[in-house]
Order: sequence, then structure tokens, then C-alpha cells
Amino acid sequence: MATVTLVTQGRTRRRTPPNHRLSRALPYLVPTLVLYGWFLVYPMLDAVRLSFFEWSGFRTDDPRWVGIDNYVRLFTQDAVFWTALRNSVVWVVLSLVIPTGIALLLALGLNRRMVGRNLMRAVFYIPAVFASITVAAMWRWIYNPTLGFVNQALAGVGLGDWAQSWLGDPRFALASIFVASIWQGVGFSMVLFLAGLQTVPAELMDAAKVDGASTWQRFRAVTVPALRPTTVVVVILTIINALKVFDLVVGMTGGGPAQSTQVLALWSYTQSFANHQFGMGGAVATVLLIVTLALVIPYMAWSMREEER
Amino acid sequence: MSTTAIAPAHAASRPAGTRRSPRRDYVGIGLWAALAVTALLWFLPLFLMFMTSVKGPADLNTLPMWSPPSTWEWSNYASAVDIGDFWVTAGNSLLVALVKVPLGLLIAAATAFALARIRFRGARALLGIIAIGSMVPVQIGLGPLFSTMLELGMLDSLFGLVLPYLAFGIPYQIFVLYGFFRGIPDELEESARLDGASTFRIFRQIVLPLAKPALAALFVLDFVATWNEYAMATTLLRTQSNWTIPLAVQSFSAQHGTDYGPMNAFIFLSAVPVLIVYLLFQRYFVQGALAGAVKG
Repeated sequence: MATVTLVTQGRTRRRTPPNHRLSRALPYLVPTLVLYGWFLVYPMLDAVRLSFFEWSGFRTDDPRWVGIDNYVRLFTQDAVFWTALRNSVVWVVLSLVIPTGIALLLALGLNRRMVGRNLMRAVFYIPAVFASITVAAMWRWIYNPTLGFVNQALAGVGLGDWAQSWLGDPRFALASIFVASIWQGVGFSMVLFLAGLQTVPAELMDAAKVDGASTWQRFRAVTVPALRPTTVVVVILTIINALKVFDLVVGMTGGGPAQSTQVLALWSYTQSFANHQFGMGGAVATVLLIVTLALVIPYMAWSMREEER
Repeated sequence: MSTTAIAPAHAASRPAGTRRSPRRDYVGIGLWAALAVTALLWFLPLFLMFMTSVKGPADLNTLPMWSPPSTWEWSNYASAVDIGDFWVTAGNSLLVALVKVPLGLLIAAATAFALARIRFRGARALLGIIAIGSMVPVQIGLGPLFSTMLELGMLDSLFGLVLPYLAFGIPYQIFVLYGFFRGIPDELEESARLDGASTFRIFRQIVLPLAKPALAALFVLDFVATWNEYAMATTLLRTQSNWTIPLAVQSFSAQHGTDYGPMNAFIFLSAVPVLIVYLLFQRYFVQGALAGAVKG
């Protein structure tokens, strides 16, 4: 997998005047500008615009300007919104700690030469190729209260009392979905970390060994610095994917029970398409946009600064 | 960095033919055991899905999920093809992926080339705007996207689906390819220019071939992502004959309950094309990951 890290090598000096260069660049830019502007930038901005209207989404109805009413309702009357916001934030934080940590440990372990290394790598990566919506269907079956693996296994080892309606209980539902997301997400981050580990300078590692540095000292002094760019990439991709979580929730609980597994991406969708409140949906989308930008723009700034160097 | 100066140190740390000390072997064995157990744990859901996919309804209700069936119901796979309308939905997914993925890569490569090698005024700002696009969740724009497609008369059409797929796919690819193209030495381009090569020729014959590992890695990623995409497809596609693979999963949950055997069979079938692409391109994928992931 490749990265979002910007790279510079060498500085170019060209004699062509700037405007001439733009006309040269334009043919290469036009398809992107059209597609990106029309089908990405415009829908994003339009979602923000819609958040100031009340609209059913039906063509026969005209959107009605309501100012910031949607936001007032969102922040003061919409309890589901606060649940969704909290769940999205929790999801981001947990994703940064648990699957990312497991992925790093696996990559460090599987970077050594050992029997069955490629097979193990494959086992950890395979869940990542399944569509999230199918992973959701799989795990809904695993969590089935009577016939599912989890409760049957608990009963099998004499812990039948622990059996739960994992997806039907507001206390456990979000955590249960999160377990499925760990299972699916670890492999991708692991591959990134494995790629990053290839850049650990072997000569530095050997020099540290000769100097008698312990495994931990070598990890701290050589591996960690070399992994820094990879870690940044993994972190940013993890944040983005956590904010986007949608398929797993739709497929496993649909946001229930009692909205306990609601997340921003799904709540925006539900308000627009199920409740026919495109204005409220737009307001939720705008909050999601702001949260996303607040998390990723610092990264962008960092990345651009790295490129300057 | 000189390799010759380092070679002795490298040789000293691992003398040829010498085994590691016994103490370190215990650590190695412990680590291996821990990894093997974790791998088994990771494999378990796949194993359970497989066991489910070969059981009939009676076995599903009586046998534990992990036990083999009393009679192997391979016919579940035939039912899966039937209920999930596999040939139609897989055909739709394949069509979308085979149009979208190469076209998207070409468009992304062209833009990355212009941004990285032509360096007009405003290139950096444009790169920044595109980079942000690679990070916004698609769900933000789904409502307006629905309206846009409706106005264009392209709702419920596979061609219509390709357009937003392209828009949401290219920003990340541009970002990655930009890094690659910036890494190409200027001398290469300059000598080609002295030989009279046009900008397009430089793009086609120098820059694109050099980016092959990155393009291959992106091809795999994008194929997997396109094949598995759900949110946009479920919003923009209506009629069943237009469904892609991820939408077909819902065919297995009817009013009377879910056909778990055929559904799990379908889940396995749905991943086969992705696994094929992954295995075919694995070599390039790893190269691309190595070359691309970590040049910061």
C-alpha cells in the first residue's frame, strides 16, 4: 500500500513562463477537475447548503430556508445526534489504540524469519478483502443469540450465564460491532507497518547490536524513528476509516437497538433518506465534515511542511 | 550511504552457518506460538463461515457452529448463485470495476503528472484541495449526490455510479502518484526533452512505466474498494438487475428469516474475484507498498 506522504527529490528549473506551463498542464487536469468538482466538491458543499433548509428530498417539494434552525434542533433536541457524535469519537479513539496496536505487534512479529510467516500474514490480511457489508452479515450470524458461535462457545466452556444478545443489548452492541471491525481492519495496517519495517536501516540495526544495545533499546532508537512516516499514514487512514464507519453498523444493527450504535455517517444518511429530512441530514453531515477537517487538516499541514524540507 | 563500509558489521552480527544462541530461540518459539494462536483466532470466523456454508437448515439448528455438517450441503453454493443472482450482480460489479479502475488510474496519473512535473502556478493549492478530498467521508455528500444523479437522469444506472466512484477514487491515487512522480530524476525528463520528446510522450513513455509498481498497488486497492463499495451503490442503485455484489447480500434476508447456509456460501463466492486479483498482483502490491509507503 502506498501513502499519503509527500515526497520531494530534486528541484526542477524550467525556463517556460508560468502561464505557458498552466496551458500545458490543463489537458491533464481537466478530467479530474470536472469529476472532482461535480461529484465530490459540489455534493459536499451542497450538503452544507442544505443544512440551512427544510426539505423532504422530494422533487415536488421546494426546500424552505430555515437559517440555523436545523442546528438548533440538532444540538438541543436531537438526542440521537449526541449518541452518534459520541459513538463516532469513541470509534476513532478505540480504532487508533486497539487495531493499530495489534497491527504493529503483528508486523513486528511477522517481520522476523519464521516457519509459516507468509501463511500467517495471509490469514491476517484475508478479512480485509471481504466487503464490510458481508463481514457484517458474517458476524451477525456469529453473534446470533441462540445458534451463534459466541453464545454456544460460552455454554461449551461452562460460561453459559455470560451468554448475551450481543447485538440486541444497548450495553454490548457497539463493542460487538467494534470486535468485527478489529478483525477486518488489522490486516491492512499490518501490511503498511510491514512495508515500513523494510525501511529500518539494517546497517544501523547491526551497528546497535554490535554496540550491545538490547532488543528494547534497538526498538526505541532504530525501529521507532524509522517507522514514524508509516505510523503517520496508518494513523490518518485509521481516523478517516473510523469516521466513515457505515457498512458494518448498517449490516449488523442498523444503528439500533434504541439508536445505541448510531454513528454520524449513518445518522446523516438516516435523516436524509429514511426520515426524509434532508436539512437535518445536511446538518449532521456538516458536523461530520467539520470533525473530519479538524482531524485531518493538521496532518495535511504536517505533510506539506515535510515536503518543504 | 556506502554499503561496503557496513558489510563487515553485518557479517559480524550473523556469522555464516552459526545458529542463534539457545536463549534467543526460546524467545523465538514463544513469539511463534503467540503469533500462531493469534492467527488461529483470526482464522476462526472464516472457518465458522465455511462450516455454515455447507450445512442445511436442520444441521444449523442442531449442531454447534464449529462442527462439520452431518450431510455436506454443497448445494448451498448453487442456491447462493441463484438467490444472490450471482452472475448478474458479479457481472455488474465486474463491469463497474473494469471501467472505473483503469480509467480512474489514468485520470489520476495524468493529474499527478501535471502537478508533479509541469509545476504551474497554483499547483500546490490544487494538490492540497485534492488531498482534502481523499479524506472526506462519502456519506457527507450522499444526499446531494442522489439529487444530482436524479437531475442528470443517471439514478439507478451503472454508468451513473461510475462517475462518483471516479470522483471519490482519484484524490488518494493522485496523492500517492504525485509522490512517485516527484521522485523521478529531472535528468531523465531533460534528456528526453533534448531528444525532442513532447510532454505527452514523456508522460506516456517515461513517467507511466516508471510508476508501474505504484499503479499496480493502486489497481489492487482500487479494485477491492470498488468491488466492495456499499454506501454509494445502495443509495444510487434501485432495481435488482442493476445491483452490485454488496447489495446482493440483502437478498438472503427475507421476511421469513435469513438463509444462513446459502448466504455464507455467497459471501465466500463474492470474495473470490478479489482474491484472484490480489494473488495476481501480490508481487507488485508488495513492491508498491515498499516503494510508496514510506519515502517520507
